[in-house]
Amino acid sequence: MPATDQLRPLEIGRANEHDVKIRWSDGQEVVYPARFLRFHCPCAMCQDEMTGERRLQESSLPKDVHPEAIHPVGRYAIQIYYSDGHNTGIYTWEKLRALAAEIPEWVEAGK
Amino acid sequence: MPNQEQVLDALRVVMDPDLHRDIVSLGFIQDLKVHDGKVAFNIQLTTPACPVKDDLKRQAEQAVGALDGVQAVEVTMTSDVRPNPGAVGKGMIPGVRNIIPVGSGKGGVGKSTVSANLAVALAQTGAQVGLLDADIYGPSIPTIMGATENPRPGGRGMLPVVTHGVKIISAGFFVKPDQAVVWRGPMLAKMIEQFLGQVEWGELDYLIVDLPPGTGDVQLTLCQRIPLTGAVVVTTPQPVAVNVAEKAIIMFNQLKCPILGIVENMSYWESRKTGEREYIFGSGGADKAGEKWDIPVLGKIPLATTIRETSDGGRPIVLEDPNSPSAQAFSFVAKNLAAQISIRNMKAEAEDLVKITF
Repeated sequence: MPATDQLRPLEIGRANEHDVKIRWSDGQEVVYPARFLRFHCPCAMCQDEMTGERRLQESSLPKDVHPEAIHPVGRYAIQIYYSDGHNTGIYTWEKLRALAAEIPEWVEAGK
Repeated sequence: MPNQEQVLDALRVVMDPDLHRDIVSLGFIQDLKVHDGKVAFNIQLTTPACPVKDDLKRQAEQAVGALDGVQAVEVTMTSDVRPNPGAVGKGMIPGVRNIIPVGSGKGGVGKSTVSANLAVALAQTGAQVGLLDADIYGPSIPTIMGATENPRPGGRGMLPVVTHGVKIISAGFFVKPDQAVVWRGPMLAKMIEQFLGQVEWGELDYLIVDLPPGTGDVQLTLCQRIPLTGAVVVTTPQPVAVNVAEKAIIMFNQLKCPILGIVENMSYWESRKTGEREYIFGSGGADKAGEKWDIPVLGKIPLATTIRETSDGGRPIVLEDPNSPSAQAFSFVAKNLAAQISIRNMKAEAEDLVKITF
């Protein structure tokens, strides 16, 4: 099973002051708003491990929460260190790709 | 008398069968000298354990020898193991070019014997090899390798124990024989991090990691902390063993750790007297798994009474009885493994790891 044939990020960098831009291997470029990423943290404190339901309350997040550092996890994910001290989320490529679809709704709702 | 260009052109017919390119465009030809009817050069392969080393040398000698004016051809085989492209960067061990975990879906398949013999077989070809025994609950590597000393502290960490040409670190060195290790998960992860980051491994071409059986904290930690070159999965021949080996395969796939190949252990018993083979545990397990998951079968290791004796006695069979079918099978697997590593690294060089510019 060659991992290289699968969709993966080529570059992960900045956009705007605090957002994250990912350039994918299929050519797509997606900008992930900072607070959006924090809210969708996949760790077991922020979501129910079994159902995936959000445990994290959106209203509890500071308006300007943002990533401060991003580190690779093996070859399959990134770990994001946030300004509010939270850093236990491991975002796999599959997760990041799936999240991209939810960005327009988030932006439109003005969060 | 040909010039250098003509010699190189003649050598373009020699193809590396694993990398699928000719040895000139691969950059293997080094130190080419043409003088007075004599042509001399080195062929620098990507591993000292190349399975077709002799064949390539012969083809090169023939190709150049056929040129007009050439009276003598001197070919020297050298090697330079390419590091896995992920090996340079955050979280990697400097000096260690390739890390290869050896896993299985469950215990009892002889994984540690396979790891030890592969390590020694690779070292026998001239590679610099390390062996990390990550099986905390049943660390058998020191016994199999006959390592009787303990690691000593070095300037920047522990110094591995060197036995049979292989640098070894094992939880077995740090746990007394009458103690059991009763640890929770985070302690295991911490131990692995120490074995990787606080041991002076020095320059290694290959670091073989003998994983604990199954799929758990140690495997996760390894795959998360460092980009591994690729894994080896050990299975037994029973068709039903496929289901068990699959657990390890699926785990490596999920963690995006490439799988370099499958090794079938305890494949058959071969009589030294008559050569007759008995497939005591059935057959076809590795082939079935390999076909289903598109993974090469690196080889099949026969059962032999000699293996058990030498494992208990501290001399792996590749040293103790190098002409035995088992030892030869291990050598064969080691060379195939080295070839798969070269192929993988060449592919990985072409495909970059994600660039994080954040």
